[in-house]
Amino acid sequence: MRRQFVILLPALAICIQLFLPSFLLNGKLVLSILVIISIYANLKELKPSIKQLFLTSLISVVGGVGTFVLANNLALGPVIASGLIGLAGARLLSEERQFQLYLGAFVGMTAAFHFTTIIPLIFASALGGIYWELLCESWQGVGGRLGTLAASAVLTLLLITGGSF
Amino acid sequence: MGAVFALIMGNFTGLLGSWLRSNTSLSSVGVSSVLTLGAGIILPWISSQGYVMALVCTSVSYVVMSDQKRLTNQSDLIMTSSICSLLVYYGQNLLVGVGGRLGTFAAISVIVTGILKKLKNRGDKDVYDNICCGRED
Repeated sequence: MRRQFVILLPALAICIQLFLPSFLLNGKLVLSILVIISIYANLKELKPSIKQLFLTSLISVVGGVGTFVLANNLALGPVIASGLIGLAGARLLSEERQFQLYLGAFVGMTAAFHFTTIIPLIFASALGGIYWELLCESWQGVGGRLGTLAASAVLTLLLITGGSF
Repeated sequence: MGAVFALIMGNFTGLLGSWLRSNTSLSSVGVSSVLTLGAGIILPWISSQGYVMALVCTSVSYVVMSDQKRLTNQSDLIMTSSICSLLVYYGQNLLVGVGGRLGTFAAISVIVTGILKKLKNRGDKDVYDNICCGRED
């Protein structure tokens, strides 16, 4: 359960929004600590290779930045942008890399008011790729798993940077 | 009325996605992308609620990416699509602007369907572990 806390973060955030609207800064600090513990537990258990983490993060960043630029700079909107990136990946990449690119695309669907510059977007996308590697055994075959990992990455970054959600 | 429209569009997307997965060579990402693009381009153009419906269809397209072990038949798909459609429609104010929230709604729908199926079949105190860790029956 400790290792799976990260993938449960979006569901927890939804519960907080529904039932604890006055969630304080201290609460977000507790969540941040729990996320760090979960990441550490996964790293300790799985010991993923640095090269694999780097490649996955890179593909995720490409998906994230591509979607964000299409959605905001070209004003296509996040839905069409993610569809285009996903379709390009489906044509060009192997199945596993398609998933990683699509995960990045979901991070890139984040609204511009959460990511005012491209730097936090890059970090969130890379984190999404890392979560893909660390949580490869969690929620296997569950549709929406990629999006949940992406949301976990975005929420992690918002927790660390003090953003609101 | 909007919720009914969301249910109709969501189930249509789910069934269309299932058909595409069974009858074309598209990968699950490809199927989801095609559904997302179609919904994103067509629906906002034809209805004032089109953008919300596009979000519903996009989220259900992620449900369609589920493994067959999770959604074993059409009734599972319809149940999950319906739950997902309602989650997206009524959850518009949740995690606003957070990328991946539609996927989160889809995943919750798949897991809830799995739990309901397990509870219906047998009482199992390890329902969560069986669903989320993909253990076989």
